[in-house]
Amino acid sequence: MDRHLLPEEIDQLLDGEVGFGTAPLKAHVRACAACRAELDSARVLVRELEHLPHFAPAVGFSDRVMAQVQVFVPWHVALLDAVRGWLPRSRAGRAVAWAGLGSIATVLTVISLWLITRLDTVVFAADLGLERVRAVTVGALSDAAAALFGDAAVQALRAGGTAGVMLALLVLLLSAALAARALRAIVAGARRR
Amino acid sequence: MPLSLELSNLPDADVAALAREGREAAFRELVRRYERPVFSLIFRMVRDRELAEDLAQDTFIKVLNHIDRYRPEFKFSSWLFKIANNVTIDHLRKRQLDTVSIDGSPNAATAAEAEATSLDVRSRGESPLDEMESRELGSAIERAIATLRPEYRACILLRHVEGRSYEEIAATLDLPLGTVKTYIHRARHELRDALAHLRS
Repeated sequence: MDRHLLPEEIDQLLDGEVGFGTAPLKAHVRACAACRAELDSARVLVRELEHLPHFAPAVGFSDRVMAQVQVFVPWHVALLDAVRGWLPRSRAGRAVAWAGLGSIATVLTVISLWLITRLDTVVFAADLGLERVRAVTVGALSDAAAALFGDAAVQALRAGGTAGVMLALLVLLLSAALAARALRAIVAGARRR
Repeated sequence: MPLSLELSNLPDADVAALAREGREAAFRELVRRYERPVFSLIFRMVRDRELAEDLAQDTFIKVLNHIDRYRPEFKFSSWLFKIANNVTIDHLRKRQLDTVSIDGSPNAATAAEAEATSLDVRSRGESPLDEMESRELGSAIERAIATLRPEYRACILLRHVEGRSYEEIAATLDLPLGTVKTYIHRARHELRDALAHLRS
């Protein structure tokens, strides 16, 4: 190399870049006192900059910041925290809680196994129960639908059969989901403001 | 183990995720980690401790109140420094406008008119004398940094005081990579010139 290093070449060496391009630059620096002095001077500056201290804000800075931060806890986190709050903190207490839960699970398993051995009776009782629940639910829903939309709506639902009821239910669920989403957007908007 | 001790071992992205879940300890941990770097950067930009505290406070309030907008694929610190830089540059621009307005009416048609409408007032913290007398920023290199253009200052501080890569600085300051390299090169050059008398 028959010239002095360009400023950007000094920068390359200063930043510790590696590669084929830097080898001739390094060789030149070894041979050229002027470029070596230039690079050394730049290195001294960088070292001084890197040793500049961080300043600390006044005591209580984080408290002042936190006083103006809105901490928003999502419902699922709040629920999980509540469940964790119910669990005993001590190891012994937790062991007792787990033992209690284990006992309940064991009893429920035994009952389930007993019911399985008497499957016919269980199926008959379940059918009977379901039929009664269905009759009560349909009656209550019909009354509610009649009160809200009139007898014509009830007749239409009955004419539609199961498919009609399912369709009506789907529309109801979709409306509920849309309403919940809109409500959430409004709350989020208010929080951002 | 207390939550604050566990938090101190987590990477920024995890602490930010906990903050999104509404954990106050995670918010405090983020402030604890970055209050000094953010405050230092702003302090060196505005050279007024009280103002720097206000701007650093604004930065953290903006970041923490909008933590749900943080995208974990980016470094949290880059996002934070970006907002700190924006808050500071906005303030400096506003202050510059204020300075222009007291230098004379912008509607003045002649130099004499501008002189007649100018006010002989300087706002606190703007006086070069005040700056030079600042104890904390009193060293030669701090004074030399203060003479740089704000954009050079931000680049050089992020590069050498905060140890950021050129790419991170470009992302933080919303500047092209080439511009960042040029600014840092010019800043180094100006600093060496400003400090040359100490070495001779």
